[in-house]
Amino acid sequence: MKKKIAFVIKSLPYNRETSRLGLTHAIASQSVDVYLDEGDMIEPVVCFIGDGVLNCLKDQQCMKHYNNTSMETHIKNALLVDLQVYICKEDIERFGLTKDDIVTDAQEIGADKIAEIVPFDKIQGIMEEVDHLQFF
Amino acid sequence: MGKLTIGTFASLVGSYAMDFAVKLSEAAINKGHEVDLWLSGNATMLSKKGQKSFQDYSYHLKTIEGLSSTGRFNIATCDACSEARGYHKDDTISCCKRNTMDWYLASCFTADRVLMIGGD
Amino acid sequence: MKIISFLSHYRHGADILERIKTTKLGIVFVGNGIYHVGVSENGKPSPLLDKKDVSFYALIDDIETRGFKIEGIDKRVKPVSYEDLVDLIFNEYEKVIWL
Repeated sequence: MKKKIAFVIKSLPYNRETSRLGLTHAIASQSVDVYLDEGDMIEPVVCFIGDGVLNCLKDQQCMKHYNNTSMETHIKNALLVDLQVYICKEDIERFGLTKDDIVTDAQEIGADKIAEIVPFDKIQGIMEEVDHLQFF
Repeated sequence: MGKLTIGTFASLVGSYAMDFAVKLSEAAINKGHEVDLWLSGNATMLSKKGQKSFQDYSYHLKTIEGLSSTGRFNIATCDACSEARGYHKDDTISCCKRNTMDWYLASCFTADRVLMIGGD
Repeated sequence: MKIISFLSHYRHGADILERIKTTKLGIVFVGNGIYHVGVSENGKPSPLLDKKDVSFYALIDDIETRGFKIEGIDKRVKPVSYEDLVDLIFNEYEKVIWL
């Protein structure tokens, strides 16, 4: 059996752990098999909406200043392990950002997966489709 | 009866969100449901040994131990989040497991309802 | 999609509820979300309470904690206990979120 879980990230990064925990919990799905019966699996989907899209800005230098992995790098790690990542198009536009400002791939570390910039309607559909919905 | 999985990373002290998580767990157990409570981030402090009850500081240790004694309540704390805070395995209350985040996801898999309660 | 949403803040969180489409929506005011049902600003109650086709609930413990009387809260809102919340979560809604 497969169950889908959406991790909807709506919070700004860094002041609190919120958005990072959303992403790291989603990435943890990669090792959940040890707890599940054979044939069972979890399919995580990560969605950035609202202010949460600002987690996806390029060129974050958290490692340089705080010695912590940036949200940009966490997103790249999520793509590396083939997580589905969706970023809300309307919210990016609201901040005057374009696709070029946003991390959508991690080819430099060998990821094939691409983060998709999609209308909120698509994210709405995902929220309807999943078994469990979690906001961070 | 169903299973409710609650995840939280709210602080033990200074955030009534943790109080909410514990009280909701208690109400669900009292109604005959199963509850898994997952602690990550600052919430890990709920599972630390040696907590003392002081006026004006949230204290849930006795409640947690009582819930565990029903056999329908599981509590686990994030090992990495705990270690990062200098809180080591031998300092964990006996009714609480230390696990990685995948324990929580596995709990979600078998849950009827999931509630992730955010930070402060 | 039947969602029950806990709203724990007064100044933010409600914007998300404006965007999500549901077939059934319950909003539970908890924590400082209680101020949505306890105070008026400039003589007007929270505009969130004007949202149509929503069932509003407020946690009794948190109403009283903040100095409000159960009988004094907005009439569109049903006061609920933790036990009531458990029933709502399991029996009335499918997905549960915390804002």
